[in-house]
Amino acid sequence: MKKLKTSAIVAAGLALAIGGAAQAQDFPERPINLVVPFNAGGGTDLLIRGFAPHFAEALDGDVFVSNTAGGGGTIAAGALAGQRPDGYQLGYFSITVSTIQPQINDVPYGLDSWSPICSVAASPTVLFTSESSPYTSIEEAVEAIRAAPSTLLYGSSGPGAITHLTAVAAFKGLGVIDDVRHLPFQGSGPALQGIAAGTIQFFGDTEILMQGGGLRPLVVFNSERLASMRDVPTATEIGIEPPLNELYLWGGFFAPAGTPPEVVETLSNACGEAIASDGFQAFAEKTNTVLNYRNAADFDAFYRAQYKANGAIIEAAGL
Amino acid sequence: MLDLLPQALSLIFTVEGLLVLTFGTMLGIVLGALPGIGSTVAVAMILPFTLTMSQAPAILLLLAIYAGSVYGGSISAILINTPGTPQSAATCFDGYPMALRGEAGKALGWATMASVVGGLASSVVLILAAPQLAAFALNFGPIETFALIVLGLTCIVSVSEGSLIKGLIAGVLGLFLSVVGGDPLTGEPRFTFGSFQLIAGFDLLAVVIGVFALSEVLLRASQRDEANVALIDFRGIVLPKLGEWRGRIGGLLKSVAIGNVIGIMPGTGAATAAFISYAEARRSAPTRANFGKGEPDGLIASESANNAVTGGALVPTLALGIPGDAITAVMLATLTLHGVTPGIRLMQDNPILIAAIFTGFFVVNLMLLPLGMLVSRVAAPLLRLREAYMLVVITLLCTLGVFFVRGNPFDLLVMAAAGVIGFVLRRQGYPMAPLVIGMVLGPTLEISLRQGLIITNGSFVQFFTHHPIAVALILAAAAMLLLPLVRAIRARQG
Repeated sequence: MKKLKTSAIVAAGLALAIGGAAQAQDFPERPINLVVPFNAGGGTDLLIRGFAPHFAEALDGDVFVSNTAGGGGTIAAGALAGQRPDGYQLGYFSITVSTIQPQINDVPYGLDSWSPICSVAASPTVLFTSESSPYTSIEEAVEAIRAAPSTLLYGSSGPGAITHLTAVAAFKGLGVIDDVRHLPFQGSGPALQGIAAGTIQFFGDTEILMQGGGLRPLVVFNSERLASMRDVPTATEIGIEPPLNELYLWGGFFAPAGTPPEVVETLSNACGEAIASDGFQAFAEKTNTVLNYRNAADFDAFYRAQYKANGAIIEAAGL
Repeated sequence: MLDLLPQALSLIFTVEGLLVLTFGTMLGIVLGALPGIGSTVAVAMILPFTLTMSQAPAILLLLAIYAGSVYGGSISAILINTPGTPQSAATCFDGYPMALRGEAGKALGWATMASVVGGLASSVVLILAAPQLAAFALNFGPIETFALIVLGLTCIVSVSEGSLIKGLIAGVLGLFLSVVGGDPLTGEPRFTFGSFQLIAGFDLLAVVIGVFALSEVLLRASQRDEANVALIDFRGIVLPKLGEWRGRIGGLLKSVAIGNVIGIMPGTGAATAAFISYAEARRSAPTRANFGKGEPDGLIASESANNAVTGGALVPTLALGIPGDAITAVMLATLTLHGVTPGIRLMQDNPILIAAIFTGFFVVNLMLLPLGMLVSRVAAPLLRLREAYMLVVITLLCTLGVFFVRGNPFDLLVMAAAGVIGFVLRRQGYPMAPLVIGMVLGPTLEISLRQGLIITNGSFVQFFTHHPIAVALILAAAAMLLLPLVRAIRARQG
């Protein structure tokens, strides 16, 4: 009887050891959870739900999407940070969730809480005015702001959102930040209503917004002019200096810090394969998503550089 | 719009179109009736399934889910005092007392008819005047929204059972709960006591379900004597007879108008509309003395208004391509996925599709009647459970529903705490409706006031000197508060 017990323990130990060794090789052996930090049905949720099947195929495993909403994405990130770093839970975080929120709010995660896996999407931002507004160029807008300080307003979808930072980067970079006022809305929809009604004069977001009509782009926060708006200058061209001259709404997958390198590599490669797949490319075209894949190493470097650069915009925004 | 009707109908009356409308409406009713799964979640859940469909059926399915879920919320509000969605909270006030009285079938009958009329009327408005109304909606900025919410807050007076002071205390408590969390204009945390979870604030649904449903469970459990009989006697919907509508048509039309107007305005929504409509009915209906005790007029006011909002909310969404709330935002996302670009040219560029959406919406509202009867017939056996089991089922449904919305375990704690606090407060005679009104209207009140002050550079006086619509709404609010006083004084003198 005693012998049997001993051998059972040995067998169990052996099984564990084999299991441990197999973990790195056979990853994933369980379904992987992609955490969307917003409610179901939003743009991010849609993107990840479109991505999940292609990711599962590339991994040759199961993938499911879950939603944890609240706090502009920080509730989900806070819950994921410090979880077991086994690669079975990945959060999809944007520039704001991963680099802005930890610098302006007391959230339970920071720069070093993550093992970045891959970036998925990145769109340059654009500052808009209404199509019916008298300003046909950024120079005219700046002139008008200088001529009547503190009368013109820029809107945002909320404090610290990319829409807020775009306007701040523009007006701080042009030296008129103290002469325009900020009117935060609850989301982009109400802000767009504000610009249509003339309540606000300026609003910054990605170029996708242009397709809705009614807007006139003034300046692009990209390294070069955009194909869809050839006449619109880049921020650098109108004299906005780094790090305020480029601003992208990007997002990617993060695992809790300490995820084994071989697991990160498997995930990162599968992510790249999924993004390159015909199915996901077609999906991205339909949803006007600008795909931008970076592997784990590149994304890690990009993420750290962004974290630092965005500190300057946050300071300018007074957040 | 009307000249496109034949083409629109040919898009709807296909096998796929009709299947989608029937199935979608039924599913919407069921999802709306389940506590927690509100219209937004219901629509979002279905969105991935529309990807393989063609344009018209995809958007028709979402419309059917939308209208169905707003109506479905009333079923659980009436039968188990648990508003399936916050917009049905006002339906509890008179629906549940009717059900307790043994008139559950009649209560649902009134709610169904009111929903159908509200939805149909709003779809007619949508068909006839969407572009004009959308242009009008743009006049409605933060300052006008602020005035509307002030008007909404006067509802607290009319739903304060027994003691006005206790009602006001509950209302202020609701307003206070709504300011916990990140400051909407600066992002700074307020009243969070260092708790990270509270940065997101209290989830409205968790609190609503806690104070209405869970506290009811606790109250029932504490009155142990009748635990062996079924709580509610329900054997299917009993539609009101034509004669019973006598004297109620005026109120119905007024509620429909309130719902429509509020639906068109940005940043308010069905819950606000239901409360304002209920308060107005309670002020003016000939049957006002019975409100809160199971008066059909109260049910009609709340249900016709919240369904009228659905059509109104589609006005700016389709005419301007700008979504007014989360639900319409999901719909626009669906259009994008199907290659239709939302925006100010949406109607000009896709006239037939938009006409099909409008007419499809009308058909959905017609279908609420037979499908509502069918779904509640299926739900009826569940309600024949003994009370003790029923309470367990309600608790389970609430827990699942609250967790499902945001996937955040903290919300369950909030729901439990709200249930216990609601139970204690109700035993002390504090009404819970003002608390919910405070929480629903609080965030919009704060944001619109502060946005207004930014626009006017800090001048509150400009609210009254430059914004006639706001002045009219504030005067209406003053009238709501003063008329009962005047009436009471007259009664004393007479």
